[in-house]
Amino acid sequence: MTIATLPTAKATVWPAWLQEPLLHFALLGSLLFAADHFLVARTDDPSSIVVGSAVTSEAKNGFRIARGREPNAEELAALTARWVDNEVLYREGIALQVDQGDTMIRDRVIFKALMLVESGLKLPPVDDATLRAWFETQRVRYDEPARYDFQEAVLAGDTSEAAARAFAQALNAGTPSDAKAGLRVFKGRPLENLVQSYGAEFTKALEEKPQGEWRALPTRDGLRVMRLDTLVAPKPASFEALRNVVLADWTDATMAQLRTDAVRARGKKYTVEVKGTAP
Amino acid sequence: MSFTFSKSQIALAALAVIGATTMTTAPTAATAAGKTPGKYVSGDIHNHTTCSDGSTSMQKLVKKSTDTVDTPWGLDWFVQAGHGGSGNRNCTLAEDASLATPAYPLVYSTAGVLQGPTTTWQNTNPPVNPKGRVSGTAPNQVMWRWQAIQEFQYPVLEYLAAQKNKPMFLGVESVVAGHEHTSMSVITGQMPLALDNAALPATGPYVSLGNSTALAQWEYCFDRNDTDTSRGNTTVDSGIGNNWNCSVTGSANAADPSWSALAQKLIPAGGAGTGDRGHAKTVDAVRWQAEFHGNGSYYIPTHLERAGPFNPNGNNGFNVEHLRNFNNAAPKVAFGFESQPGHGASSDRGEYATRRNNIGGVNTDSAGGTTYGGTGVYSAQIGGVWDALLGEGRNYWFFASSDWHNRGSFGADDRRSTQDFYPGEYQRAYSLVRNGADKLRPQTIVDGMRSGNSFSTAGQLIDRLAFIACASYPGPAARSNAAVEALALNAATNNTDIDVAGCATMGEKLVVRPGAEIVVSIVVRDPSAPNYSPYSFPNPSLKQIGMTQPLNLPVLDHIDLIGGLVTGYKAPGAADYAGQWPNDWVTNQNLANVPVAAKNTSAGIIKTFNRATWASAGNDFLKMTYRMPKVTASQYVRLRGTNLPASVPFETDASGNPLRDLETNSGPVNPSVPGGADGIPENFYLKIPCTTVGTTEFNGCPSHLPTKTLGAYTGKFLALDVAAWADLWFYSNPVYIQVQGSTTVAGVK
Repeated sequence: MTIATLPTAKATVWPAWLQEPLLHFALLGSLLFAADHFLVARTDDPSSIVVGSAVTSEAKNGFRIARGREPNAEELAALTARWVDNEVLYREGIALQVDQGDTMIRDRVIFKALMLVESGLKLPPVDDATLRAWFETQRVRYDEPARYDFQEAVLAGDTSEAAARAFAQALNAGTPSDAKAGLRVFKGRPLENLVQSYGAEFTKALEEKPQGEWRALPTRDGLRVMRLDTLVAPKPASFEALRNVVLADWTDATMAQLRTDAVRARGKKYTVEVKGTAP
Repeated sequence: MSFTFSKSQIALAALAVIGATTMTTAPTAATAAGKTPGKYVSGDIHNHTTCSDGSTSMQKLVKKSTDTVDTPWGLDWFVQAGHGGSGNRNCTLAEDASLATPAYPLVYSTAGVLQGPTTTWQNTNPPVNPKGRVSGTAPNQVMWRWQAIQEFQYPVLEYLAAQKNKPMFLGVESVVAGHEHTSMSVITGQMPLALDNAALPATGPYVSLGNSTALAQWEYCFDRNDTDTSRGNTTVDSGIGNNWNCSVTGSANAADPSWSALAQKLIPAGGAGTGDRGHAKTVDAVRWQAEFHGNGSYYIPTHLERAGPFNPNGNNGFNVEHLRNFNNAAPKVAFGFESQPGHGASSDRGEYATRRNNIGGVNTDSAGGTTYGGTGVYSAQIGGVWDALLGEGRNYWFFASSDWHNRGSFGADDRRSTQDFYPGEYQRAYSLVRNGADKLRPQTIVDGMRSGNSFSTAGQLIDRLAFIACASYPGPAARSNAAVEALALNAATNNTDIDVAGCATMGEKLVVRPGAEIVVSIVVRDPSAPNYSPYSFPNPSLKQIGMTQPLNLPVLDHIDLIGGLVTGYKAPGAADYAGQWPNDWVTNQNLANVPVAAKNTSAGIIKTFNRATWASAGNDFLKMTYRMPKVTASQYVRLRGTNLPASVPFETDASGNPLRDLETNSGPVNPSVPGGADGIPENFYLKIPCTTVGTTEFNGCPSHLPTKTLGAYTGKFLALDVAAWADLWFYSNPVYIQVQGSTTVAGVK
């Protein structure tokens, strides 16, 4: 039905007092008041605490878990009284706004809001082509890095270059590798670990031939006497072998992106002002 | 205890070698030093109930700390020691029927509601009213700790000690005048012998046989937060009660401007000079302990790096000179520190943090900025404050404690924690207690702590240690490595130490002639059974380097033998006596910036042992020996060990030293000045991913671990309790070697 199809209203003659704007204002005001009263009456009375069946059920359940039996009437009354006490404290606390500025409460609210956001998200369909393409962009996560087996014959006292080189020479001539301050044995350390712990220069020096020879190698905190035993070359990962792992990781990454997008979309209604400098 | 070779001992040794083909035989009784037999037993000296700011009752804490069934980590002995000052909650009220006893049954209000340990003293049925200078409004008025100790906490602890037949006593974590906190006790009067045969009552109230009056008096006299002026009486000026006087012989006492005639104690004024005045009062406190309870007390500053450097105008940390002052004033009382703090599961490990302490309007780091493998920088840094003290030849020992308060986000019975571990659950401090045929008692326990024959370990990394040094001379008095190692293995197997002339163990000094070789043998037990970690997934720290090792099955990776020279006591007032640890240490770790008073540059790793260089002795025991070449100068050796190899990112450096724990701390960081805008958000520093997906909260990275995005990775990161279980260390106390003609190790008699 459109407005054009509405039947024409029959002309009616109303008394003049019914056409008074003041009367219309009064009537509208009364209607609004009545509606407000009706709606407010339907919400909880803030001064009323209702102990419903859910409260009783939760109390019984908690007692059952803790004690292995049902609470008797006296115990149930005590539990209920404690719940009421807590409800009083909760309401008083909210009224006093003690939840404001509390990071734990803030985190909890954020968590719940995130769950709400997540419930509205839907993972897009995925096929092997998509997964494989994503896998190729994330290869660094799956490829087996170069790994190094090496040892350090720890210097004692004198750590000068001359002492380090002399010790390396002695070791190559048969001196026991723990002759000074001990022997550290490293197995299967990834390249990244070496760079992080000893520096890039060290890694290059360690790889120099011949393998299996003790040498004084430069590290970021001085010379160390070390020997490379084994270098396992990096190995590219196989998508086929890791397909299920990749699917799980893709799912996590995609959901994380969807969550971020959804939060950012909601954030558009806010104006963000940055004050101060971040570290 | 010292060991010197007398002529008769050498003669005995010569006779022994005539009758034997080697020197590997066990020593004869004639050469034994005559120690009372004892065992290494584990305990905790720092933990809290609701009487201060803890979350559990006395009963629950005692059960959690000593039970070997429900909580399998039960300790051998236990000291309950909450904060000094005051509190308004009654920690003697049990939580539930499982903790109720005939003398301390469950208590209900007149309305029939169970009253747990968070009930205030005055809301207790019947009400308990505080004594002394009462402040606040009923029913929440606080009770001074001296009263709680004397009248309530001691009786319930005595009752529980008798009921459980467990050695326990009361202490206090004192709120220190001039500084932050100290674990201390005065045991006089506690747990008398009569308790052995006491028949416990079938109903309450329990009337104790002993008392903690001496401890209560110390608390009244010297705790910064005990501002009562009643002299331990029912009301101020009533004269009814303890009528304590806090004078110390040789101190100014009434002539001191801080003396209160009303309170009969020092009440230093606040404002400028607070720290200096407070420190002077605290030196009096340890002198009081030495004067009146010299054998029956101890004073051990706790988490002493947390509050930053000493602040002459406030109450913050301890510099090295304050530790020297305490040890000089009362060497039998102030014999160590808790440089490995509790709060191991906190978002800031040990509650140490950068920009933590407002000192003069600047948010100042805890000393060191954070912990290093869970240990404060004073001990974790080789050549740091502890080595400076040991380099003087002081009797200053290392301790660890739980500092139990609560589980953070979790309930007290949850296995997970974002704050604390229960006493014994994570850290265990072992002392050799020489009780002979007698049971363990407070006096022998305190004697054991004082001896320095002790070690502390986290995560049950090891549970046995024998660490001995023996002198070897050319000729008949030579000792083989194997002979000394056999002594150590025998000691560790029997969970005891050695009693052999010419050998010494932790806390002792071995006096030798110049040129002696020192044979150092170490035997540890690295238990193959699971530890008390609830988590069974692979250690995320080790996963970084391709190692798969369940968190609850840690394996000892290496032990460092650390040594340093002893050069004698620093003189008070001398330039090398006092000095503050650098405030910027967390980002600028350079010993050159540490004042000479607070370092010992001769300290270093002498030898590192690992599976390549130690040998199995069966039954989870590992043995290793190092022969120190001819010694010419007095020195010490000590140990540390860990489950982490060298060069584990964000955990250990290339030399196996613990790195700062900042990268596993998830807490936010304060702005550089209060109210500033350069605060650092939580999780900012986290670096180690936790990626194991499990089916429960325990076989995969648990849900309470923080998440964030770092590079291509979005997910959980290592922090909180999991970080603590991943990063385990043990520390031994030192063995001193005093070379005749060199510096005397004066702190060890």
